[in-house]
Amino acid sequence: MRVIRKYWAIFTTQLINNLAYGGDLLARSLTIIMFMWIFTQLWKVTYLSLGEQTIAGLTLRDTLWYLMIAEAIVLSKARLSSVIAESVKDGSIAYQLNKPYNFILYQFSVGFGDSLLRLIVNLLAGGTIIWLLVGPPPSSQGIPLTLIAIFLGWLIDFCITSLIGLAAFLTEEIAAFEWIYHKLVLLLGGVLIPLDFFPGWLRSITQSLPFAFSTYAPARFFIDPHMNRFVLLLAGQLVWLLVLGSLLAIFYRRGSVWLSINGG
Amino acid sequence: MLWRELKFLFALWKANLLAAMEYRIAFLSMVLGMMLNNAFYFLFWVIFFDRFKQVRGWVLEDMFLVFGVVASGFGLGIYFFGNVLQLSNVIAKGQLDYYIAFPRPVLLHTLASRSVASGLGDLTYGVISFLMLGDLSLDTIGRFIIGVTLATTIFLSFLILVNSLTFWTGSATMLSAQVVNALITFSIYPITLFDGTAKFFLLTILPAAFLGAVPAEFVRSFTWSTLGQMLLAAFVFLGLSISMFHLGLRRYESGSAIQTQI
Repeated sequence: MRVIRKYWAIFTTQLINNLAYGGDLLARSLTIIMFMWIFTQLWKVTYLSLGEQTIAGLTLRDTLWYLMIAEAIVLSKARLSSVIAESVKDGSIAYQLNKPYNFILYQFSVGFGDSLLRLIVNLLAGGTIIWLLVGPPPSSQGIPLTLIAIFLGWLIDFCITSLIGLAAFLTEEIAAFEWIYHKLVLLLGGVLIPLDFFPGWLRSITQSLPFAFSTYAPARFFIDPHMNRFVLLLAGQLVWLLVLGSLLAIFYRRGSVWLSINGG
Repeated sequence: MLWRELKFLFALWKANLLAAMEYRIAFLSMVLGMMLNNAFYFLFWVIFFDRFKQVRGWVLEDMFLVFGVVASGFGLGIYFFGNVLQLSNVIAKGQLDYYIAFPRPVLLHTLASRSVASGLGDLTYGVISFLMLGDLSLDTIGRFIIGVTLATTIFLSFLILVNSLTFWTGSATMLSAQVVNALITFSIYPITLFDGTAKFFLLTILPAAFLGAVPAEFVRSFTWSTLGQMLLAAFVFLGLSISMFHLGLRRYESGSAIQTQI
């Protein structure tokens, strides 16, 4: 219990820190408003030029609400890999490693504190603009389970970004990995285009990758909240969390041994 | 006079390159990483046009051209004048002290003192994207060079303009980041998506169309009207940005901090 209280305190401190920068949060919400406006133009034209009400079973309204949730998830992520890599590069990790907390759990608490407020603001800003542009969401029944799926998806992303950050133990410069991962999430996570619109062979591959379980699956469940879909989504997320969490634990233990501090 | 400043610019770029070569693996990873990054992003349009064929007349070939122009222009700008992305910070932290002390143009010296390695990746990707179109006549190559140069000028000028607000507001870092984000985002979508008002906005208040759609149109086919528009925009934004920076410079107060340039 004391352990949980410790990380809870780190999480709430970070949350309060972020509350102090309300202007910054609001400025960030402009990004999702801009993206949603462009997406609306693109998909309105696309649906119109095809002359069809649905594409791969999704109406224009489904598509845009789906894209809003996926975009809000991506825009709310904390830049954990850079933070971890920076602490490895500048040697400050040495001060963090001898503190009475687990380095990874500390990053988890800080990262979650950063992401939570951003997610709330992005969902509110993105939801408002999409509501104004195409009307209310197709369903509101799935909101509680969608939030659970978003949290588990966030954990999958946390494991991957932490692994990328810890790669600094080996390579020091991780920016390129970070960019490429971000683009993989945008494309294979279905943030720019729903995976349902992919060709069949590509769709079945991408739908089983961790990128899909961190963004596509929660957003897809939001517009089509059926229990069967949630069970499959949950099973996939738990399997990937087990795999990636184990990898993270192994890599962190090995990385601590490889660590060489450049000054102090 | 001009030759003297050009020699100075080349000396700065050489120094930046030599500094980067000290960490050549990191430099190469940034260049190649950015090329891959752009390629992954472009896959979205490949998948999109494979499924939907066209957006109000725009096809995949148009996207190759737009990406070629935007990536080249952005890359050229941030590789050779990389401090443009940090200009607000440089002003806010009193780091202009270092540049003011030299008998050289302050703005030019500040901007060219940093090269962003990933910019070279953007530039290379942009050129490859253009080459993939297969039209390698001298005319087209010439128009591509002119289009990219003018797009770079407008991009840099607009960022200088926004960052110069720091002289009055104390910081424009967040605004500058949002502007870069918006410029790139709007420039890589088909211009045919936007109606009259939005197009006017993208040609004036946020000149993203001059980074992608307009130079791409110019590369596709020469018209005096497109060239005139680009030249006018470059001239106006460059003039405004230089005036704004020097107007702000009069208000600049040194932080008296000790600066070192490594």
